[in-house]
Amino acid sequence: MGEMEQMKKEAEALKTQIEAARKAACDTDMASAASGVAPAPRVQLKTRRTLKGHLAKIYAMHWSTDNKLMVSASQDGKLLIWDSHSGNKVNAVPLKSSWVMTCAYAPSGNLVASGGLDNMCTVYNLKTPVIKTVKELDAHTGYLSCARFLSDTEILTSSGDTTCALWDLETGKQKTVFLNHVGDCMCLALSPDMNSFVSGACDSLAKLWDIRDGQCKQTFQGHTSDINAISFYPSGNAIITGSDDCTCKMYDLRADQEVIGYQDAALNSGVTSLALSVSGRLVFAGYDDFNCNIWDSLKGEKVGVLSGHDNRVSCTGVPVDGMCVCTGSWDSFLKIWN
Amino acid sequence: MDVYCSNNVLQARRAVEQLRLETELQRIKISAAAEQLVQYCQEHRRADPLLTGIAASSNPFKDKKTCVLL
Repeated sequence: MGEMEQMKKEAEALKTQIEAARKAACDTDMASAASGVAPAPRVQLKTRRTLKGHLAKIYAMHWSTDNKLMVSASQDGKLLIWDSHSGNKVNAVPLKSSWVMTCAYAPSGNLVASGGLDNMCTVYNLKTPVIKTVKELDAHTGYLSCARFLSDTEILTSSGDTTCALWDLETGKQKTVFLNHVGDCMCLALSPDMNSFVSGACDSLAKLWDIRDGQCKQTFQGHTSDINAISFYPSGNAIITGSDDCTCKMYDLRADQEVIGYQDAALNSGVTSLALSVSGRLVFAGYDDFNCNIWDSLKGEKVGVLSGHDNRVSCTGVPVDGMCVCTGSWDSFLKIWN
Repeated sequence: MDVYCSNNVLQARRAVEQLRLETELQRIKISAAAEQLVQYCQEHRRADPLLTGIAASSNPFKDKKTCVLL
């Protein structure tokens, strides 16, 4: 038997073993476990701010940890820093490449990052008298789909080249490359304790990685198309994914499997983005059909909808204090709701 | 042709190694896991403004009405 044949056989046997172990742990599902919980109230949020300023599709947004400032990225070639309370623009960062797909705010508030079809992650210092580019992180061989700062000295990226990477911002080099996906990596999310992260990819899998040893620890399947959005549940024990297959799913890390899905027969648009309320009870999922649906994470029911955008909702974000949710759209506007 | 073949072999090898690792994982029952997720939600629900609602006076996004002297 050739090596390939042998490996295929072993792979099949191991997959069967894993499925059996998962099945043995599958003694109920989340909705049943939450049957005693009071239903979430009908969630009716109002648009409190409509942030106008971008001249083209918005692809990404990220809150600062100060709960007031946020950064947005648009293919008009700009990053805009907004004061969400006043609705004013605080800064504008012109991008070398307008094909931006992601942006990130450092927890310190000192730095922001962007990246996209230029395959690079560019980091900017907001605190110098004039905003300066501090690093151009150039090693991915595919588009930059997502970036998240761990601190002012480390950043995580995901790429269309199927890898994720941890970068040292002082040297500008990759410290660790996370290799295991077989499709473009589309999104990543840091665990609350910052020791691990999860990635979602076009291979329809989500993977959990140990940041320090670079290993893929767990793989979550179930989606039938690209995973575009991913987030940790605030307790750190579960993750939520959103996919082009029009569904969101919650996977529990310790049961190592899907525990509930968020879907509706009437929904046939892909999920582009998602964000959770601070208790984890509400999932705000942005869709291609211009809406952001609100799901009860425990019961799997739709409890509200944010309608108001005139094009695809491309990004959503809830600040650390949970006081609102922000949606960004291809219609070039950002809306703040609570 | 050789590079293509060895890439496939490399990928297959990596996949098998990963599966071996994942087979070792200790899994807990969904009932136990779900109970903890539910508990977390319940414990934090009062501190979740989007769930409880926000009083106008403490809502930084609510436009404050100005007083009009008649």
